Amino acid sequence: MKKQYKCPVCGWTPAADEPNNEWEHCPNCLSSIHVEDEMGFECGGVLEPVSIWVKPCGEWEIIQRCRDCGEMKNSQMSEDDSPLKILAVASKPLAFPPFPLERIEELTKIMGGCGDVGGYYHEQRK
Amino acid sequence: MNRENKKRKYDKKYFRRHPCTDAFTCKECGWLVVTGGAGSRHRNHCPNCLYSVHLDNKPGDRSSECHGRMEPIGVGVRKNGEWAIIHRCKICGKISSNRVAADDNPMKLMALALRPFGSQTISHNDIKNMTITMEG
Repeated sequence: MKKQYKCPVCGWTPAADEPNNEWEHCPNCLSSIHVEDEMGFECGGVLEPVSIWVKPCGEWEIIQRCRDCGEMKNSQMSEDDSPLKILAVASKPLAFPPFPLERIEELTKIMGGCGDVGGYYHEQRK
Repeated sequence: MNRENKKRKYDKKYFRRHPCTDAFTCKECGWLVVTGGAGSRHRNHCPNCLYSVHLDNKPGDRSSECHGRMEPIGVGVRKNGEWAIIHRCKICGKISSNRVAADDNPMKLMALALRPFGSQTISHNDIKNMTITMEG
C-alpha cells in the first residue's frame, strides 16, 4: 500500500477514487517544501507559485519562490494541476499593471518602440 | 576618486553596498544602456529587450563565472504590487527575479505577461468545459 500524498502546505489529499502519485508540487495549491538550497543546506521554507513560464515548445512550467531564503525554482506543470489556480497565477500581473494600460501605445511611442494592442480603435489623444 | 577606483577594484563586496553606474551595451540587442532614467540606481537589465547577464549569485557579489545571457521568461507581482521580471540563465538555468525599471519597454512587458494566454496548454475549450460543470 502506497502512502497517501498529503500536501504539507494546504493539507490537500487526493480522494479515494483519484490517482495517488508522488507529485513534485501539490496539484491543489501548486506549493511545495524547499528541501535543500543551492549550497546544500536544509531550508524547509514554503515554495510559493510566482509565475508561469511558457517554454518555446508550448509546455508550461511553474516558477516558485522560497518564502524563507528567496531562491527561485521551476517545476514542471503536471496534468493533475488545478487549472483555476494556474490561471490565477498567470493573470495576477494583468490585474496589477505598473503603467496605465489605456495609455500603453502612447508610452511605447515615447520610448521609440512599436507594437499593437489589438484594439478596434487606436488611442487618440490631443 | 582615485581611492574610490581602488576600492572598487580590490574590494570584492564593493557592489553589495554601492550601485554600479557604468553604461553598458546590451549583449542581446546592442542597445546602449545608461543608468539614468531607471527610477532606481540599480540597472540590471536592458530596457529594450529586457535581457540580463548572469554576473551575480547574490545581489552585487559579482561571483558568478557563468556570464551567460539571462532571458526574461515571465513576470511576477511582488507583495507591494510591483512587477518583477523573472530571468533565466541560458547557460546554467539559474532563475532570478529583478524589479522592473521605469523605462522598460511596456509592450515587451505586456507580451511577457500575456504569454500564457496565447498558449494552448489550457485551451478555451478546457475553460468552457470548466464553466459548464461549475454552472451545474
